[in-house]
Amino acid sequence: MRLRRTVAALASLALALPLAACGGSSGSGGSSDGKLTFFSWDGEDTMKPVIAKFEEENPGIKVEFSNAPPVAEYISTLQSRILSGTAADVFAIAAENKTNLINGKHVVDLKDKPFLENVPKFNQTTYGGQDGAVYGLSVASWGAGILYNKDLLAKAGATTIPKTWDEFLALCHKLKDAGVTPYLESVQAMSTPLSAFLGAESAADGDSMDTKIFDGSAKFKDYWVEPLTQWSRLWTEGLVTPAVVGLTGDQVRTEFATGKVAMMVAGPWDIPGVRKAAPKLQIEMAPIPGIDGKPPYLAGAASPGYAINAKAKNPAAAEKFLAFLDTPEAMALYQKATGAITVTTDFQPTLDPALAPIVKDVREGNIYLPQIAWKRAEDILNVEATAQLQLLVQGKASPEQVATALDIKLASTS
Amino acid sequence: MSASVLTPAETSTGVPAGAGRPPRFNWSRARETSANQLFLVPVALVFVVLLIVPLTQTFYWSFTDFTGYSADVKWVGLSNYHKVLTDPSMLAGLGFTLAFTIGTAVLITACAIPLAVVLNKKFFARNFVRSVFFFPAIPSIAILGLVWGYILSPLGSGVLNSVLNSLFHAGPYPWLSDATLARLSVIVVAVWGGAGWHAMLYLAYLQSIPADYYEVATIDGASARQQFFHITLPLLTPAIVISNFLLMTGGLKVFDLPFTLTKGGPGYSTYTITQSIITSGVAQGRYGLASALAALFTFAVALVAVAQLWVSRRIERRVL
Repeated sequence: MRLRRTVAALASLALALPLAACGGSSGSGGSSDGKLTFFSWDGEDTMKPVIAKFEEENPGIKVEFSNAPPVAEYISTLQSRILSGTAADVFAIAAENKTNLINGKHVVDLKDKPFLENVPKFNQTTYGGQDGAVYGLSVASWGAGILYNKDLLAKAGATTIPKTWDEFLALCHKLKDAGVTPYLESVQAMSTPLSAFLGAESAADGDSMDTKIFDGSAKFKDYWVEPLTQWSRLWTEGLVTPAVVGLTGDQVRTEFATGKVAMMVAGPWDIPGVRKAAPKLQIEMAPIPGIDGKPPYLAGAASPGYAINAKAKNPAAAEKFLAFLDTPEAMALYQKATGAITVTTDFQPTLDPALAPIVKDVREGNIYLPQIAWKRAEDILNVEATAQLQLLVQGKASPEQVATALDIKLASTS
Repeated sequence: MSASVLTPAETSTGVPAGAGRPPRFNWSRARETSANQLFLVPVALVFVVLLIVPLTQTFYWSFTDFTGYSADVKWVGLSNYHKVLTDPSMLAGLGFTLAFTIGTAVLITACAIPLAVVLNKKFFARNFVRSVFFFPAIPSIAILGLVWGYILSPLGSGVLNSVLNSLFHAGPYPWLSDATLARLSVIVVAVWGGAGWHAMLYLAYLQSIPADYYEVATIDGASARQQFFHITLPLLTPAIVISNFLLMTGGLKVFDLPFTLTKGGPGYSTYTITQSIITSGVAQGRYGLASALAALFTFAVALVAVAQLWVSRRIERRVL
């Protein structure tokens, strides 16, 4: 009997342990006035010099650093910590968790904070809420376009970078006729050219495209069919193999770096890998050529921002840390470690010359990514869109069917 | 009851001996039993903390709008279950999950038993060959998935396509980008990864079959084929039951291999139920919905496991 009672007591304790972890106190992981907890999306190597400089300038504050690699592991770790009341004072807010963090009131509104003056409106609104609220300090952006192998282009007699999609497809035909694989992009995520087409469309519409789709006054079908049709010409005209749906971005980059393909979709993160694998390759990056008379545009988004935990133990130190993060000296350290296209107005990043044609647009926020611009159900729609794009590439769905599938999916989430 | 069938323990009055007297409590035996049961406490704790608690929480969350960010949840009744059963994308992975489970169970069993029979024979470097076949079970399936991603690359530069081209001037084949080939590729890689491990399981059982049976069968003039079907296979039934139980439950829960090879594509062709649960819960913050799917799936897996065990035991009883 006594044994049974003991076992029952131990079992109750075991039950209580995880529940207690879930319930927890409402405080965060930080405790003393001089300690600031920071949970980062970037690794320790990237953030260590920045933190060291901050601690040097703020001797009373000690930063307790932790990190998890993006994206899924970071998101789930942060979510567990928020749920258990052990989230850090400062953490990264990303496209993937911003809706949950903002709607759950887990992050502090940074509107009117002086350190936001350096940050472009585009980066502020990416992590913004109602009434001009800003929940994340985003100090960098990325843009993706097309990376050209100028040596292969020259072999096919091409001397200029195309400005329109028709010119781009003509170049693909020319390269193919010359026996060169013209172009590859991985279709295991949202398509870069499609995002750029939609970005140009949205910009021409006064950036109201997604607002209209999500308030029900328009449908995906109204905006997406023509960009989808133009993008799918890569396959309907036989220029690119449908096998791209089974390729990862790394595999595409390897093909490009080994000189087997003339053009590929790329972001700034691809450049160091290509340079290392093929130091002598003549490369240049450019925005995605435009459709329907619209200008070339870039796919891209604001990088994750730094947010202050609504239940931070040390909010004053957290604010000091954010104010430090967008100073030119912090930017210099961060940029050196990441090679990111930083956007703060008082710091000019040093970047690979191949990126020169896109830097201005990225810094000014002339970039677009559907899953960031969508107002809700971002990942639900993104998963559906990726699956539908793969079917489109394989010729198993039409542009109209893809757009309709997104309309149906959006309706199912309301 | 007649007096003629009274047992020795009964008296002539028909009252069992010792009735009306409480049995004597054996303290020393109780102490021994208690001491033995104490050894079960750590296991019970682990079982409760790692299985019962999460399972109970999952069932609770499946009736709420839990997002994973706040314990302040709203009770939504059966609406998550209704959504799971009416939203086609939630069950998009059902077809491939079943195909994968049945395909891998059948193929691994078909490969592992003959492999175990061969590995049970004496030949040069037998232990080395055994370790080679067992090797795929050691690295993480996720790593194997990444390596196989390069081998099965649908481009002409993919390892398999290069080999086929140089040997037969054939291809390139879209191993991972055609729906049917992608499904087959995932199953084949899983069979490659699992056959060696299950062969070792069969090997352990094979070694427990007495050699006398084969000697007698040989004297009686039984061929090798007859010996396999009438001695080896029936005596391997317990191993087949265990192996298939593991393959079925593991197959139904599969996630890592299809995800690293194809991310569930093309379209939803290699999407699995577990991927749906993880995507809905972790990535989309719909823990309530994901919990409902997980609860239904747990129930379905339990049902399949119990049914499989019941059928297997009956076959086992009939054969042995």
